[in-house]
Amino acid sequence: MNAIPDGRAREAAVLAQGVSRWFTDTRRQRHQDGSDAPAGPRRVVALDRVSLEVQPGELFGLLGPNGAGKSTLIKILSTLLLPSEGTVRVAGYDVVRQAHQVRRRINMVSGGETVGYGILTVRETLWMFSQFYGLANGPALKMIDEYLETFGLADNAHTRVNKLSTGMRQKMNFIRGLLNDPDVLFLDEPTLGLDVQTARIIRDFIRDWMRRRPGRTVLLTTHYMAEAEELCDRIAIIDRGRILACDTPDGLKRRVQSHSVFRIEAARLDAPPEADGRWPGIERISWEPHPATGRTRITVIAADDAAVTPLLADLRERGADIIHLSKVEPTLEDVFLQVVGRGLGEHSGA
Amino acid sequence: MLEELERNLRAVRARAYVRVVGTFRELSWVAFEIAMPLLSVGAYVFLYRALGAPERYIGYVLLGGAMTAYWLNVLWSMASQFYWEKQSGQLEIFFITPVSRMSILAGMAAGGMFMSTARALGTLVLGSWLFGVQYRMEGIWAGLGIFLLTLAALYGLGMVGASLFMMYGREAWHTANLLQEPIYLLSGFYFPVRALPRWLAAAAGIIPITLGLDAIRQVVFPGAVDGLLDPGLEAALLAVSCAAYFVLAHAALRKLEDLAKREGRLTLRWQ
Amino acid sequence: MAVRMRLRAFRLAAWLGWQMESNWTDPWLFAVYSIIKPVSSALILVVMYYVVTGGQTQGDLFAGLYVGNAFFMYVGQLMFGMSWVVMEDREFFRTFKYMYLAAPSIYWYLTGRAVAKFLVTSLAVAVVLGFGTAFLDLPLALGAVRWGYLAAVLALGILACVAFGLLMAGIMVISARHGQGYAESFAGVLYLLCGVVFPLDVLPAPLQPVGRAIPFTYWIEGVRRALMGRGMSPSLAGVDDGAILAILLLSSLATLAVAVLFYAWMERIARDRGLIDQVTEH
Repeated sequence: MNAIPDGRAREAAVLAQGVSRWFTDTRRQRHQDGSDAPAGPRRVVALDRVSLEVQPGELFGLLGPNGAGKSTLIKILSTLLLPSEGTVRVAGYDVVRQAHQVRRRINMVSGGETVGYGILTVRETLWMFSQFYGLANGPALKMIDEYLETFGLADNAHTRVNKLSTGMRQKMNFIRGLLNDPDVLFLDEPTLGLDVQTARIIRDFIRDWMRRRPGRTVLLTTHYMAEAEELCDRIAIIDRGRILACDTPDGLKRRVQSHSVFRIEAARLDAPPEADGRWPGIERISWEPHPATGRTRITVIAADDAAVTPLLADLRERGADIIHLSKVEPTLEDVFLQVVGRGLGEHSGA
Repeated sequence: MLEELERNLRAVRARAYVRVVGTFRELSWVAFEIAMPLLSVGAYVFLYRALGAPERYIGYVLLGGAMTAYWLNVLWSMASQFYWEKQSGQLEIFFITPVSRMSILAGMAAGGMFMSTARALGTLVLGSWLFGVQYRMEGIWAGLGIFLLTLAALYGLGMVGASLFMMYGREAWHTANLLQEPIYLLSGFYFPVRALPRWLAAAAGIIPITLGLDAIRQVVFPGAVDGLLDPGLEAALLAVSCAAYFVLAHAALRKLEDLAKREGRLTLRWQ
Repeated sequence: MAVRMRLRAFRLAAWLGWQMESNWTDPWLFAVYSIIKPVSSALILVVMYYVVTGGQTQGDLFAGLYVGNAFFMYVGQLMFGMSWVVMEDREFFRTFKYMYLAAPSIYWYLTGRAVAKFLVTSLAVAVVLGFGTAFLDLPLALGAVRWGYLAAVLALGILACVAFGLLMAGIMVISARHGQGYAESFAGVLYLLCGVVFPLDVLPAPLQPVGRAIPFTYWIEGVRRALMGRGMSPSLAGVDDGAILAILLLSSLATLAVAVLFYAWMERIARDRGLIDQVTEH
């Protein structure tokens, strides 16, 4: 899948062409016969010929499950990792040969990180990072105080970093990412592990920042569908190192709109049956068991409404109770299922 | 160009600030880093006393003890600091900023030097007072000059060491751990380095402390005729090694960062 | 049941300690690594001795300081090993809080983690003594060693090392990251006060009673007597072997009791101030 639109008018904020990244695993591996002898280096592919282009001013999302290659791509884009092959330009500069130029124009915020030295206060930590971008003290501290106010951290400006809650720490980390007013901001799961309210504050800020800073670009990785749908101008779906689809949220959803999407809630379904094309007309199906309630949420993408009937009969035959059945408007979740072949939380599927 | 320089100087100051502020906020080190090292060096003083060694040897030991503060700072608070920064996720944040890695390291060194200097001064001043060490006052300025050259070269060497930590994890940590005592031995922290076989002492000259200690001892202690080389020559060699280590550090940091990025080790934790 | 749980924690901690200590390289390199450090440390003393005496190593003083220095490695290594666990688990691996939750006894966990250090140090001590005997005229004959006495003294000395390790670990629990060097500094003080490399009598008079209150003074003296048939400090010459053992036993147990109470006190402070999982690096 190539995520580069035709007819580029200006220098892209992010331009990746045929980017692959593999790691060599040299650990001793257990053979099938149980022996523990060296099996030789094994190549683990994290990114497989990824191409994408993000325009200045765009809020671009990378949506994929854990291990899809999102963070690997972000590391390459932010100059922390070299691609095994392919070329990457960020803010008009090559990330391999012109890393220094790239670094002046980017910043990155990762979710779930502990950034800063525990022994410093919030304000000191942010001041320290501002110095790495060469900001003069006065303007830097003024900007820091304004951001602390915006994020509701002003009262904690003089609190040591090791005393902050997870949400506060992430807000501080987020402010750090804005200190150099980056042309391209990489957000790697920025709301990971945050409560609803803090995640909301961060999402609102991203939108507002983009509005107030025309021409700034955000590349967001997430596995929260709603976050991607709410924020992103365009979304690339990535799985197992490959970009499988790239479009606006509406454009992606249109791919499923010619199909019928059903949500089924079933009880007493001990194990999901193997699909193996046993229900004609059903293109994708995902099973999400909820052990706490004993119920299974089933999402079905079918060619037409009638295709779901044999499935329901099959489920009843297996002793399952159908608690709820509804035909729904497709969401990004359904697009993901359609494109990838399994739900975001699943490891395998139909 | 000027903008680059300013940014890097700001980075040095900011990273040093962390160390200095951190040091002041947890003062437990005063006892452990000033009083105890002095007592620890005292063991060697009493050994020399028990052996009936010449009085200047007491000064040798104190000077060596003072220099351990800098050696330990280079080894544990600069070279291996990249290992800790990598683990905490800090390294990647530093590395996406547009400053030289040498500025980050210089900041760590400058900040760490505050505590090291307190330790070194504690050992030297209190020790000299307690054990009645005599100095050649006319050699003090020359000694100070050689000391500064030694530090510059030593921190250059530390930066070379730091480059290894970008690539390696525990292997580099254990290597640093391994180097601690052998360097005490080879650089003659507690005895004149000339006591070692000549070839070994000459080889140990690649460690700046070896030449620095030997030269300082010759210029500040009366009757110190047991030097390895002429102190002027040792100072010249230190100046050369200082330049060489900084060039080497620049190249090594660049090379190993590139290699670490190629192999995906720059952001690899729990190595 | 409780004892079995504690022993299991000890065994697991020992296994974990060994993994951390050794699995970064291949065995032969690890063996070389384990030997270079202690031999270098011993050679510093040898050269200091040489440079003053002009190459003589036959005297009692040399033998005494060499043996003292070799066995003192246990003190430095075990104290460092046990206290470093707190720093490493807390600030590096961020697992210290989980160990508190999971281990039936933090004391047994910390002690278990030091087992690898004990094994590696034992190898180092053997190598240093062997080196001294082969190359430095150290008067050590295996046939003349009083093995029973050595075993008893060694066991009590290790107990004292564990006690001091626990004391240092207690300090680490409330210390910032720069506390990583405290164990080494403290070991240096013990090195001075316990007459490890010179007779206790050489210490200034006010410091001698302090040295006599520390178990390592008797430990090192007992080890010298077991290995070479005589001690080094004239002031301890009047104390017979049994008395050395008895004083060592009592002082080690007393130190252990103090260490356990001290650690519990530090732990309470840490819990009160929320320091158990603090990250303080700078």
